[in-house]
Amino acid sequence: MGKAKIKAKNKKGITKVKAMFTSLMADTEQAKKTGVEPSYIRQVVATIDGKVVYEVSMSGFMSENPLLKFKTKSGKKGEKIVFTVTDNNGKTITAKKKIK
Amino acid sequence: MDRRKFFKGVGLVAFAAIVAPTTSLKAVDFRATKPEAWAAEKSVDAIKALFGGTPTESDKISFKAPKLAENGGSIPITIKSKLDLETVALFQDANPRALSCVFTVPVDAIIDYDVRIKMRQTAFVTVVGKERGTGKLYSTKKEIDVSIGGCGG
Repeated sequence: MGKAKIKAKNKKGITKVKAMFTSLMADTEQAKKTGVEPSYIRQVVATIDGKVVYEVSMSGFMSENPLLKFKTKSGKKGEKIVFTVTDNNGKTITAKKKIK
Repeated sequence: MDRRKFFKGVGLVAFAAIVAPTTSLKAVDFRATKPEAWAAEKSVDAIKALFGGTPTESDKISFKAPKLAENGGSIPITIKSKLDLETVALFQDANPRALSCVFTVPVDAIIDYDVRIKMRQTAFVTVVGKERGTGKLYSTKKEIDVSIGGCGG
């Protein structure tokens, strides 16, 4: 698990967010087949100004490098959206992006 | 008497300090709280394990997906609903385990989620939503054709 690409845009009070995280998303069976360690993202949480706006728990059956899109009513221009991503080994990364 | 009053005051302040900071928002980790749902092989069992009930089919919750998916490794799915839902989950019957992802919907959110899932073969995809407050379960399902090996099937 490594990088995160985030785009956030506010238009007429609605913030559209696109986020992509690099991960193999290999569950046990697939990892055995390809001969790698199982590695997948198990949880993604997005917050704006300390308030949770998006939250998802996942299994390894999401596509490789999962792309998530969502809309939210909170968030203004210039505010920061913070993503917290946890993988199956409990490793956590955070990524920040200003809302345009 | 003055001393007694003083101590009473201190006690009250201390009590308030302990009670006050309990309103912080904490994320729900479904992988930790419902491990049996993630291990279930069939959608029906996974839905029971996660929500504890059988949903009624409804058109109030819907999702968009291609009828024929050429690449089983990345199938775009858009979930939409105008109901005030608390939890939204996506299941499929194609993989060794049925549960794909669970959304926890914050209060006053727009339900318009776009995700990509993996599927090994042609199977049914089910989306289940739990209404906030009433706890009613709604579901819709669709069959998605997956042609592995590409060439458009």
